Amino acid sequence: MIQFFHVGRKYGDRVALHDLNFEIPRGQFVFLTGVSGAGKTTLLRLIFREEVPTSGQILVNGRNVASLPLRKVPYLRRTIGVVFQDFRLIGGKTVFENVAYLPRILGSDRETQKRLAYHALRRVGLAHRMNAFPPQLSGGEQQRVAIARALIADPELLIADEPTGNLDPDLSREILRLFLEVNLRGTTVIVATHDRDTIQRIGRRVVTLERGEVASDVELAGTEPPRLEPPSEEEDAGAEPLVPPP
Amino acid sequence: MSILQALAYFFREAAGGLRRGWKVSFLAVFTIAVSLFVGGVFLLTSGNLARALARWRAETRVVVYLRPGTPAAAVARLRGEAARGPAWVRGATAVSPAAARARFRSSFPGLADLLRGWGEEPLPATLEIELAREEALPAAEYEAWLAAWRARPEVEMVDDDREWLAQLEGVIAVLRGVGLALGGVLLAAAIFTIGSVIRLTAYLHHEEIAVLRLVGATEFFVRGPFYAEGLLQGLLGGAVALAALFAGWQVAQVEARGSLLATLLAERFLTPGQAAALLLLGGAAGLLGAVASLRRETLRGES
Repeated sequence: MIQFFHVGRKYGDRVALHDLNFEIPRGQFVFLTGVSGAGKTTLLRLIFREEVPTSGQILVNGRNVASLPLRKVPYLRRTIGVVFQDFRLIGGKTVFENVAYLPRILGSDRETQKRLAYHALRRVGLAHRMNAFPPQLSGGEQQRVAIARALIADPELLIADEPTGNLDPDLSREILRLFLEVNLRGTTVIVATHDRDTIQRIGRRVVTLERGEVASDVELAGTEPPRLEPPSEEEDAGAEPLVPPP
Repeated sequence: MSILQALAYFFREAAGGLRRGWKVSFLAVFTIAVSLFVGGVFLLTSGNLARALARWRAETRVVVYLRPGTPAAAVARLRGEAARGPAWVRGATAVSPAAARARFRSSFPGLADLLRGWGEEPLPATLEIELAREEALPAAEYEAWLAAWRARPEVEMVDDDREWLAQLEGVIAVLRGVGLALGGVLLAAAIFTIGSVIRLTAYLHHEEIAVLRLVGATEFFVRGPFYAEGLLQGLLGGAVALAALFAGWQVAQVEARGSLLATLLAERFLTPGQAAALLLLGGAAGLLGAVASLRRETLRGES
């Protein structure tokens, strides 16, 4: 799914990432951890081509994103869902409008947009808040809306950069449970976090960065892994692919 | 997304943007309306002058002013001589002092009082000699003919229409040049204003632009609504300028009805083609302002 070959990223003289080599197979759940400034965010930004490496190659689904022409970047991003710590919702737009950006830019009619947004919001338990505005929602709800936006096209890859950084522990647990459920459906999930407790509790693959390099790459069993139910057929209804596979 | 769907989306978003930011949009529309109005005024007046010039050229004539006190019999004889002139003389008419005074009063009603109180007829008798079109006149022969008339003892002065028509042609050219320059400068200012408004709008929407890019919107999709907004502002400015021009023209028609000035400057409104061109020029200026303001670095770096 994702392969890093000798990837480096510099900002002037400062080295953000140095000679990264690792692979994330399709369907895996990976925690990316490390102290602030270790290079987590830079690494994620390289994957969805917000940044370009100064050396090395990155393959995402067989596409070399390091040399991807600018005009093709949007097509890459349509296959990747991204969630940020600060939610990045538009306050003046309704929850539905915030979630339905992708179907809208793909030219779906309003009924299809509504159906897809409803489906995505139902997955995060917010179908009843379609017409609310983000400022009317709690932090946890806003992050769930951001996740719904990332999931609306059933992306092959979900990237989350400190998604629980602004949330209390209970809400953090709820959000991480959502990511695990998404992963259970086959989506590859990468979560960047410096919350070691959560990582220890949940387990999964943990890649630790230190000063831009991979310090460790281990599988953790988890002390309290949440129980997850496989998705029901009802939940999957209406989830036909919005973005055709590459 | 098809092109039509995209265009519908762009204009829907642009209309919403105009509604939401109507104050800054008003500024952009106003500046482009002013520039097109000024350009339109020059276009209108120079067009009407050019039409009058063409009409006058088609009826080129020479006016021979006779000395005061020339007897009527001499006037009639000179008229006959003029009418029997070269082949390119179409005809000659004698205008008596009384007829000249009556004509002056009807052409310049505001100046009619000037003729009051004169003991005798203030205006001389004249001969109006109609000629063939200017291009049909043999230059050397024509000049010799004019010189012969000027040399006659009964003749005070010979007025050759071609001289002042050439001067008028120069005035029209200057008018067009000034209009073009002034309109161009104002249009450049309008493009700059629209560009600034669009840049400001883009800045106000930078969060949404970042989200659009994040979810995979193409540059065309991201910039389209801003281009449409610039285009709409330009077209609106053009429409406002046209409406103001038409209103001004109507007022000129009513206020100066029958006067020479109104006939010269506001005889006819712009042709549909000119009006459409003015409107399209507004749209093009708006689009240009938007495109210039949204250089790649303006919207980049946010995602």
